[in-house]
Amino acid sequence: MTATKAILRSLLLFTFIFTTAATSAAELVEVSVYPQNIDLTSSRDRQRLIVQAKFADGITEDITEQATITNGNAEVLRQEGCLFYPQGDGETTVNIEYQGKTLQVPAKVQNSAVTPKVSFSLDVMPVFMKANCNTGSCHGAARGKDGFLLSLYGFDTRGDYNNITRDFSSRRINLAFPEDSLLLTKGSGAVPHTGGTRFRKGDELYETVHEWLQDGANMDQGEIPTVTKVDIYPPGAVLNGEGAQQKISVRAYYSDGTDRDVTHLAYFSSNNDNSAVVEQDGIVTAQNRGEAFIMARFDTHTVGTQFIVLPKNLQFTWNEVPENNYIDTHMHNKFKKLRIIPSELCTDEEFIRRVSLDVTGRLPTVEEYNTFLADTDPKKRDKLVDELLSRKEFVELWVMKWAELLTIRTTNQISYKSMLLYYTWLQERVANNVPINVMVQELLGSNGGTFANAATNYYQNETNTLKVAENVAQVFMGMRIQCAQCHNHPFDRWTMDDYYSFAAFFSQIGRKRGEDPREIIVYNSGSGEVRHPVGNRVMAPKFLGGETPDVAGKDRRQIVANWLASDENPFFAQNLSNIVWAHFFGKGIIQEVDDVRISNPPVNKELLDALAQKLTEYKYDFKKLVRDICTSRTYQLSTKTNETNEKDTTNFSHATLRRMRAEVLLDSITQVTTTSNKFPGLPSGARAVQIANGNTSTYFLTTFGRAKRETVCSCEVKMEPNLSQALHMLNGDTVNSKIAQGGLVATRLGEEVPHEKIIEEIYVRCLTRKPTEKELTNLMELVGQEENKQQALEDVFWALLNSREFVFNH
Amino acid sequence: MKCKGNSLGRRSFMQVGFLGGLGLSLSDYFRMKKVQADQKFYESVEGPAKSVIFIYLPGGCAHQETWDPKPFAPIEYRGPMNSIETAVPGTRLNETMVKTSKVTDKIAICRSMTHGEAAHERGTHNMFTGYRPSPALQFPSMGSVVAHEFGPRHNLPPYVCIPNQPNVFAGTGYLSSSYAGFSLGSDPASGSFQVRDLKLPGGVDDNRFGKRRKMLTAVNDYFASKEKADSLDAVDTFYDRAYSLISSEKARDAFDINKEDPALRDKYGRNTAGARMLLARRLVEAGTRFVTLTYGGWDMHNNIEGSIKGQVPALDQGFAALIEDLEQRGMLESTLVCIASEFGRTPKINANAGRDHWPKVFSVVMAGGGTKPGIIYGKSNATASEPEEDALTVEDWATTIYNRIGIVADKELMAPGDRPIEIVNGGKVRQELIV
Repeated sequence: MTATKAILRSLLLFTFIFTTAATSAAELVEVSVYPQNIDLTSSRDRQRLIVQAKFADGITEDITEQATITNGNAEVLRQEGCLFYPQGDGETTVNIEYQGKTLQVPAKVQNSAVTPKVSFSLDVMPVFMKANCNTGSCHGAARGKDGFLLSLYGFDTRGDYNNITRDFSSRRINLAFPEDSLLLTKGSGAVPHTGGTRFRKGDELYETVHEWLQDGANMDQGEIPTVTKVDIYPPGAVLNGEGAQQKISVRAYYSDGTDRDVTHLAYFSSNNDNSAVVEQDGIVTAQNRGEAFIMARFDTHTVGTQFIVLPKNLQFTWNEVPENNYIDTHMHNKFKKLRIIPSELCTDEEFIRRVSLDVTGRLPTVEEYNTFLADTDPKKRDKLVDELLSRKEFVELWVMKWAELLTIRTTNQISYKSMLLYYTWLQERVANNVPINVMVQELLGSNGGTFANAATNYYQNETNTLKVAENVAQVFMGMRIQCAQCHNHPFDRWTMDDYYSFAAFFSQIGRKRGEDPREIIVYNSGSGEVRHPVGNRVMAPKFLGGETPDVAGKDRRQIVANWLASDENPFFAQNLSNIVWAHFFGKGIIQEVDDVRISNPPVNKELLDALAQKLTEYKYDFKKLVRDICTSRTYQLSTKTNETNEKDTTNFSHATLRRMRAEVLLDSITQVTTTSNKFPGLPSGARAVQIANGNTSTYFLTTFGRAKRETVCSCEVKMEPNLSQALHMLNGDTVNSKIAQGGLVATRLGEEVPHEKIIEEIYVRCLTRKPTEKELTNLMELVGQEENKQQALEDVFWALLNSREFVFNH
Repeated sequence: MKCKGNSLGRRSFMQVGFLGGLGLSLSDYFRMKKVQADQKFYESVEGPAKSVIFIYLPGGCAHQETWDPKPFAPIEYRGPMNSIETAVPGTRLNETMVKTSKVTDKIAICRSMTHGEAAHERGTHNMFTGYRPSPALQFPSMGSVVAHEFGPRHNLPPYVCIPNQPNVFAGTGYLSSSYAGFSLGSDPASGSFQVRDLKLPGGVDDNRFGKRRKMLTAVNDYFASKEKADSLDAVDTFYDRAYSLISSEKARDAFDINKEDPALRDKYGRNTAGARMLLARRLVEAGTRFVTLTYGGWDMHNNIEGSIKGQVPALDQGFAALIEDLEQRGMLESTLVCIASEFGRTPKINANAGRDHWPKVFSVVMAGGGTKPGIIYGKSNATASEPEEDALTVEDWATTIYNRIGIVADKELMAPGDRPIEIVNGGKVRQELIV
């Protein structure tokens, strides 16, 4: 280094320290160190420490470089900055001091003289992941790339070993001259490589592979420890302004009780590069204001940590916002971290429309509107929620939602009678407030005829074992495990082993014809296994993310049902709470609701945990959860944003516009025009929400995206607009005919109600508000120009039904 | 001892410090830049095929009884039907394809189409999207991709399905619903055919509609001043498109098959095949870019002879008329007509005198729009059970179609989760099929 450079460097260093020291004006409240112990078990082992400061305003700062880190015993540990290597066996302490706060990290060193051989499974396989060799776009593709095939994200260690050592012999690996192996020359870019330079000679990654080759490129013998858990540190960070940095580190725990600092082997990614980027050395750099989830993948484990980025030294004052219940508490905690002030409460008019549509799928009537607005009780909103929850329309709406999740419809396998019995079964359970866990246990463990015990239709809807398992995971746990059918899930913890051992619960479903040719009898056949496609092993049934129960001689489905719909399965209550939440906010705390995975974290984990906890406490009576949601302040926020939350689209700091779903929209048009519909299988006047069969539809419902219930995917309900919808609302028979059929305008004219009052009534019916003065003036003027007053007033009605304000819930 | 950290930390600090000077308002710009840099991008420029008419035969059309007869195969393979000579000497078609046999010099018959999916929905997925089905992702149909790349032309929807979107794979997949095909909702072969909701309802003339729109504006203004949301803008977009369609008589006329010369209607055939093809021609003539139409039911597990004699004549007549009509109008060069089905049928006649599903080899047809006329591309073996020459994969087939439209199929579109996905993964343009 030249002298100038050295001066410049020290100057920069000085500036750096000076700047960071001045970053947070708030008081230092806490200093933490990660991990909280050092445990070295071979000469190859090492451990990095990370020190983080937390300030009173919530900002965190990486102070690893500023803190004084002292090695307690140089004969046990060798220190290089914040990295510790084994020196000799023994125990000691590492001391950390920062601005008067001190911490101790116990350290233990064993086998410091033992240097284990480089292991293919433990050392070489991680290189392929870290260097991105085995991704789907490179050698992990189904047919490999440029003649070299690796298993996607390393799901098949033995297969990869064979491809490397047995394929393309003496070129891909060259044991005589290891550094001439294509594995190294390609990877290091010494010869042309489509994938570029992945590592360099001298790198740890390069040297690991090189050493393994020098040792003879052997497969590991004996039992190989497996990774049981991976931790990422620090558990979270709030960064102060663009450019602020935080180092992260990753530690893996193995089945033999050892741990390992795998920061250099973990593959890092950010789910929002716009707010925080992460380099492969584990340094996170803040970008623009927002949130990012920083993930590390090692072995089959993906772990993540939440980062919040704020504008530098953002001035923010939290004015106490009232909290109606625990939901608001958790929301406000998050808002404080994000420096967001939630919107104001919505008006009474907005509230009654919103809550009526959400809870009952109906618009408030004119009478309901007048009564509610005239009520002066400060508790009137809570009263209204209770009243709406007791209505039968609330039940009907949720029967429809469950019917979508259970894909209730006629098919080649399910007769109309079966379908109707299945629907009735569901309806009885929801109407009688049967706890959801009981209902789901009954459903998944069901045996018997599809007429006699209609819940068994669940297993007629889908007869493929793997698909049944996928559907169960998606609907009741919110997880899409499909990926793991062919390879370890790239963005989640699920391996192929998990997938096939979960599917094994559904491998013994017997089906035979009943007396009635339309009836199928579903029973426990007691035989049938699921095999792993790699190696053809029979897989023992294992709960997803849980244990391996004893299934010998038992009905496997009843065992999985009793576990799945219980407190033991942490995903069940969480998933249900999220589904319920999404109904009221148009978006889940995890979005999509059926795409729960580590790389798709909840926007507010504490809130989701609290909701799940409550649901369990309520003994899975979801009505109580709905009450909590609707009476929370968060649900009652206005759509109007303020300076701090106008950019927020994920944290529920203001209400959002949600289009009415197809059934509710048709029912609403029918309601406000005082008309009725006749759907197949239902009496005249029934609502679209009550249609039992997914296959029964009308042009209107199909066009506006009613779910056909062909799949369990939450995406079946379409809320997107299209050309046919616009044309149908403008010219179609629904709006035009219903206005004429209902004859509301003609009736009011007959009663000699003044035109202003008629317009006002249509407004209240459609939009749950009175027209503004300007609107009334404009419309009265347009009506005044017309000879035919009835026609003109009906055109006002038409305009209101076509208005954006009508089709959206706001 | 102070922990010194590594030099990278400082270097990135410097870089970020510099960028920081540019201010936060550029955030979206950077994000866009990043996305663009990560995505394979090619500008789509209209190719020789300005429009596509995609004729789909649902159920799995027997290649032996249509485009690829095997007159010299043993009877159990050959089947009960005969074949006839065509305009291209040596190219034979099924005996029922009398009219089409006269236009074989204007079309390309590919007899080596192949994929491994013997289930209807999986095969259909392949033919509409150019992808094998994935449990993790819904792919967009070719029609939706075209709508995405080019947008509407002359007030007409870019992608139209006659009579309706035939299956879920003809949808938008991971693309936004604004690229969905416009479903007519009514069959042009029916006497009462009318595209739903295109015309103003009875009793509403242009004048009254104008007043209605004024009232609607008066109502919408308040909400628009109060609320800002993408979902609101999307609704506005479709209302605007609806207005332009309603107000353009020319555009609306394209949907009115009764405006067509009765003699020409007879020539196409007044049945579901002919009427749908004729309407498709009207639509592409007026500006629609991609028309998907279905005809018949081709899942002939029983009595193949009877079923073929029931289905093929209308297809034969309509298709021949379409090709000739397009040519006379000078539109054949700019209109790509495809005939496809999810798979072919088993080489041997089964016990019910029918044939079962067979995806290993089957036939597709391409005509016009810059494809080579008068050729047979690829070859199946003597029993029509395997491709023998130039096996045509789904990827290559789709890539070739996209190439004619002017879309580089290697281009990546953005799927949810910021996943860039190629329009077609790894397909090649079959040069022998194009001019």
